[in-house]
Parts: sequence; C-alpha cells; structure tokens
Amino acid sequence: MPPQAQQLLDALNQTIPLEGYLIVGAIMFAIGAYGALVRRNAVVVFMCIELMINAVNLSLVAFSDYLPDAGGAGAGYAVLVIAVAAAEVAVGLAVVLAVYRSRKTVNVDEVNLMKW
Amino acid sequence: MVTAQTFVGLLPEILAFLFSMSVLMIGVFSPRSTGLVAGLAAFGALATFVTTVVLLLTRFEGEFFGGAYVVDDFALYFKLIVAVSAFFAVLAAARWSGRTGDAPEYLTLILSVAVGAMLLVSMRDLFGVFVAIELATIPSYALVAFDRSRRESSEGGMKYLLTGVLASSVLLYGIVLIYGAAGSADLAEIAGSFTGRLTPVALLGLVLLISGFAFKLSAVPFHFWTPDAYQGAPTSAAAFLSVAPKAATFAILLRILLEGMPAAAPTWTAVMAFLAILTMFVGNLFALRQRNVRRMLAYSSVAHSGYILAAFAALQGAGVERAVQAVLIYMAAYLVMNLGAFFVIDLVGEEAKTYNGLFKTRPGVALCMVVFMAALVGIPPFSGFFGKLWVIIAGVEAGSAVTYVVVGTVVLNSVLSVPYYFGIIRNMFFEEPATDAAEPKGVGAVKFSVYTLAIATTVFILFVGPLAALARISGLG
Repeated sequence: MPPQAQQLLDALNQTIPLEGYLIVGAIMFAIGAYGALVRRNAVVVFMCIELMINAVNLSLVAFSDYLPDAGGAGAGYAVLVIAVAAAEVAVGLAVVLAVYRSRKTVNVDEVNLMKW
Repeated sequence: MVTAQTFVGLLPEILAFLFSMSVLMIGVFSPRSTGLVAGLAAFGALATFVTTVVLLLTRFEGEFFGGAYVVDDFALYFKLIVAVSAFFAVLAAARWSGRTGDAPEYLTLILSVAVGAMLLVSMRDLFGVFVAIELATIPSYALVAFDRSRRESSEGGMKYLLTGVLASSVLLYGIVLIYGAAGSADLAEIAGSFTGRLTPVALLGLVLLISGFAFKLSAVPFHFWTPDAYQGAPTSAAAFLSVAPKAATFAILLRILLEGMPAAAPTWTAVMAFLAILTMFVGNLFALRQRNVRRMLAYSSVAHSGYILAAFAALQGAGVERAVQAVLIYMAAYLVMNLGAFFVIDLVGEEAKTYNGLFKTRPGVALCMVVFMAALVGIPPFSGFFGKLWVIIAGVEAGSAVTYVVVGTVVLNSVLSVPYYFGIIRNMFFEEPATDAAEPKGVGAVKFSVYTLAIATTVFILFVGPLAALARISGLG
C-alpha cells in the first residue's frame, strides 16, 4: 500500500472533532431559519422549523457525547426534545388545517385579515 | 429518590392535571354537560389555589428530582398567580364555550396551560424549563385558534403558532449552547462556569436564550404575534394568556438569570434595559392608533411587558432585592387589572364605539372599566400604580446611568399611555349611546369576575405590604 493511501486511511479513522458536529448543526439551523423566513406556504415553514429543531438536537447529542462532565445525559434530553417537537406538529397541523378550512389557502401572505 | 414529600410538593400541579383530565373524560362520555365540566374546572382551579396557599402558609420548601425541581416561596407565589387567573378564566370561559358546545376541550386546554405554567416556575434545569414552557405554550396555540365562527381566530392562531415554534427552536438552541458551555443544564452548576469573561459559545447561548424568552414575553422586536393572537383569540383565552403564562415566563427568566448566571449580570442587565425601552415605546405608540379595544389592550400588554423588563434592568448593585419585589408586585397588580379589562370586553364588545354612553346604559360595568383603565395608566390608589412605583424605586436604587434612563422612560411612557386608556372613559361618559345595548343573558359569572377584580384593583394597597414581605423572604435577590 502506498504511504499516501495509508495516511488517508489513518485520517479517516480519527474521531470527528466536536466542532465538526457543531458547524453542521449551525449550518442546518441557518438553512432552516432562512427557509422559515422566505417560504410562504405555512406547512413548508413548519418543515423548516422542524429542521431547525433537529439541528439543535444534533448539537445537543454531540455535546453530550464529547463533554466529560455531562455523562451522556444529553441523549435523554434529546428524546424529550423530539417528543416536544412531535406535540408541536400535532397541534400545528391542526391549526393550519383550521386556516385552510376557513379560507382555502395556507399561503402566509394571503392570511392577512389583521394588520398593525 | 421519590418520597411522599415529592407528592406534597407537586400537589398543586397534580390536582390541576387530574381535574383537567377528568374534564376531558367527561367531555368524551357526556358532551352536553357544560355546567358540570365548568363547575369541575373552576373547582379544580380553586383546589389548586387552596393547596398552594396551604403550602405557602406552612412554609413548605424542598428540592426534588436531584435538585431539578424546587418548591420555594418564590415558585409558590407565582403558582398562586397562575391558579387565580385560571379560576377567573374558567368562570369567563364557561358561558362562551358552553354556547359553542366545546366546553370540555376548551377548559381542558386552559387547565393544561395552567399546569405547564405552574411546573415552569419551579424548574431549576434548563431542559425542564424547555419542556414546561412548551407544555404551557402548545395548548395556547389551540386556545387562540379555538373560535371557529371567526376567521380572525384561526389566522391569529396560525401566526402565533409559526412565530411561537420558531421562538422555541431559538430558545432551545440557546439552552443547548449554554449546556455545552457549562457542561450541565443545572442552574447551580451553570452559575459555577458563568464567571469571568464569557466564552463566545456561552455569550451566543445567552443571547439566543434571551431572544427566545423575549418572543414568549412579547418584547419588541419579537412582539409581532401578540396583537394578532389576542385579537383573534376568544376573550377569555386572551385574558388568560396575557397573564398566567407570561407571569410564569417572567418568573423563570428571573430565576435563570439570578441563580444561573449572576456573574454575567452586567451583560444581561444591559440587554434587558435595551429591550425594556424599545418595548415600552413601541407598545404604547402602536396602542395609540387602535380602534379595536382588544387589539389596543394587546399592545398595552406589550407595553406592560416593557415596564416589567425595566425591573429586570435594575437587577444590579443595590437594586436587586427591590427589583425582585417589583416583578412580584407588578405581576399581581397586572393580574387583577388586565384580567378585569379583558372581561369587560367580553361583556361589552371589542369595537371602541360599543363603549359610547356605557355609563348611562350599564353604569356598574362602566365604573369597573374606569377602575381598570386608571389602574393600567398607573393612577393611585389603583393596583398598577404600585407596580410602577416599585419598578421606579428599584431603578433608582440600582443607581447606574442606564437604569436612570430606563426609569425616565417608564415615567414618559406612562404619560404617553394616558390618551388611549382615557379615550375609552371619554366614550363611556360623554358620547351618546348608539344603540340600546341590552345586557346579554347568562353573564353572571363574568360579571362576578369583573366586580371582584375591580374591588381587588381598588384595594390593592392592602396586598402590597404582604407581597413585599414575601419577596424579601423568597430567597432570590
């Protein structure tokens, strides 16, 4: 095996540093936030917010795995967060459905009875 | 370790939860029994209130679940506020929800918000805070969107939902970053690591945490959901949501900042001062141009969040103890005057012209509205005056240039708010009644609430002494 290939294998075998997970999480969070601000369909906005929550969850699990003092408690917290997010979706889709029934659209720009 | 004491400490929440579940179950098996579920829900709120008073009088204190849940005077005080507002909200909700035929679901949602808010004030673990805050918020989305006969209701619900869920994810990110920076979600251990210069991660976590809370407290620039949600929501829900979850959120923010990051006080008092000034001005200036009384009260509640945030800005130097007192007294004062004002809307109507000549047609209700409006302005001897007085004293005692500016803004904004509150009083006394507004039937419970709250607003001075004493022994500050 050539030495370059061996070096590549060694590099691949190293554990990914904490920063890697946090950066991915931050990018996911930013994409979700961007989508939540620019998309006009309420259901898509909701999906973007779910992406944000999952990005946070990724950071949480990474922290709990890497921090010496945390003792892995973060994984338990992550399950709680998932449960809360599911509850939010349950109520959220019901509310979006109520809007759809009353005006046949879920475009957030057209839902504008009340202003200022 | 779970002992019998744990159950005693959790008794108010357990009772509220059991009553909310039995209300729901009665709704499943006998959907038409409005009177029964309303009575049961009101009794549940009352039972919660009595249990909390007993715990407070017996000086019950304790930490449970490894220190993640604490019962102290501070927490019990805010549980009282939540229980009282839940009681009045149930009374006011019974008639409306009975007419639409959804009384069990509606009352269950109110009690669920109450359970979440009561759990919230006792949390000492940031993830516990998140779960409790969601338990208080998720049912409130449904409460806002509950009125199917008005299109504003579902619209307000959707706006509240989308901004609220967004705020939750921001808050959660803040919590996770603080957890990562401190290595623990426990407030005492966070306090140990939040010393000296803050690391960038900790600072970002703090900023995101405060932004998330600012959303929930409808502080400017995160207040956009408030007017739409309160205008769309059924009146009893708007009244309840503007008091109980907000009081609990202020309480837990106070606990997190004072117990979790006292060493970073210069940073967060500066942020709070900025938020407070902005919130007061925007709330009052937008309230000035509203013709819908409910929307005006929503902006007024934004402004009042600003006054309470002004007390947070004074949490430094010699002002800490007085600022904690200010938050406690202001919340009690706000409870009686704001619930009362919303219930008058329930009795009269939300358009400003429905108040024309109210003093001639219904003098009792009109006089109560005068009391609430004067209290919201902050005229002595009504309740709002004492809240503002304590905020101002705390700001002066804190004694920094920033708090003087904040106190000046509080006074200026109180003057700014006079026209819109007194516009309603003018309509009631000096305009001719447009139609002969007959009293709707079956409003006994709402009227009872309005009169009780008006009396409490008027004699609030009697409560101020005990409240100040309670704030002194409550451990924080």
